[in-house]
Amino acid sequence: MAKEQWAETAVGAVVIAAAVGFLAYSLTVGGKTGGHGYEVKARFGQVGSLAPGAVVSVAGVKVGTVSSITLDPKTYLAVVKLDLDAKTPLPADSVAKITSDGLLGGQHVTIEPGGSTDNLKPGSDIQNTQGAVDLFGLVGQFLRPPAPAGGASGSAPAPAVAPDAKAGAGA
Amino acid sequence: MSEVPLALQPLRSVGKSVLDMLRTAGQVTLFGVRGVGALLSPPWFFGQLGRQLMGVGYFSLPVVGLTAVFTGAALALNIYTGGGRFNAEQIMPQIVALGITRELGPVLAALMLAGRVSAAMAAEIGAMRATEQIDAMKTLSTDPFRYLVAPRLLATVIVMPLLTLAADIIGIAGGWVVATKTLDFNGAVYVKNTWDFLQGWDVVSGLIKAAVFGFIIALMGCYHGYNSSGGARGVGRATTHAVVSAAILIFAADYLLTSAFTHR
Repeated sequence: MAKEQWAETAVGAVVIAAAVGFLAYSLTVGGKTGGHGYEVKARFGQVGSLAPGAVVSVAGVKVGTVSSITLDPKTYLAVVKLDLDAKTPLPADSVAKITSDGLLGGQHVTIEPGGSTDNLKPGSDIQNTQGAVDLFGLVGQFLRPPAPAGGASGSAPAPAVAPDAKAGAGA
Repeated sequence: MSEVPLALQPLRSVGKSVLDMLRTAGQVTLFGVRGVGALLSPPWFFGQLGRQLMGVGYFSLPVVGLTAVFTGAALALNIYTGGGRFNAEQIMPQIVALGITRELGPVLAALMLAGRVSAAMAAEIGAMRATEQIDAMKTLSTDPFRYLVAPRLLATVIVMPLLTLAADIIGIAGGWVVATKTLDFNGAVYVKNTWDFLQGWDVVSGLIKAAVFGFIIALMGCYHGYNSSGGARGVGRATTHAVVSAAILIFAADYLLTSAFTHR
């Protein structure tokens, strides 16, 4: 009996270790970077739900991950650090875009390589960026046209909401 | 018997089975009340409680862990398939987390424990009944409810939420492994989506369910063991009844609790 108990005790310990290990991993994840590669920065007006760890891809092929997202307190732009694979040097005039996997999907960064002969240097900025598209904001503009159309449009709260929508579009 | 007309015989048997059912429900309730009542006043048998905590809790970890990891992995694949039908594969981590913490973690852990623990309790107490150890215990003025039933009830109620917590984490880890190894999900994003989406209540409601299931498991095991009769066959019958009735009550309680939590 004692022998069996030892085996069960060991397996129980393994199960607890697995649970604690995954919990620890899930709590520490996000601050980690790949380590082998080079880092470039890109500034976006809107990152949407982009998260550290998201994939950076060129033509759909993964070339790196997002290592951190911070806010530049002067310009109010989001500074996204990209950890790129050393095997894929990218032209200096490449364009970084935030794209979505699907209507409800997670967001990631797509890089469209430019034509420059110079490559992005470690630590440099990607100059050309295109932030996340606020899909629901766009839909909202179609549903509630910002121009006050008068009583003909029918819905009563529309005039009250319209200035907000306009301000949102301008920002 | 003979004075009942033939035409009324079916009615008679229906009435008898209804009365039997009521009597069983009453017996189980009284048994549970006595078990809980034994917890409220000394003497307590802490050695028994410790042994039950180890036996019911720690040694159930392998079974619960294995169940959880495979369920999480299979759930991830199925939700990926289902999500793919309307281009929403990416919300798979959130649905897996919700399904595991709210439903599958507590219910599967409880079913595994019903098989493992309820049966063991019924067999152990049933064997003690068959060999008249329970009567001997009473003769020595040790209350079997204090010595046998109360520690098992308390230990299972304490241990079930802890096992469910382990099952939650391991189940989500199972989904994570499948998602990252075969479905090209990013591990960090998967975890972040899960954390961002999951609310405290998702986990806590699962743990409340687990505690209730724990009470059911121990109650069924002890009740059927304590009331077994007829020697070795009686023990076997008690074991079967304990597992089956525990499983049925778990499902019924699961629905009731879920609907109570949903409309709160």
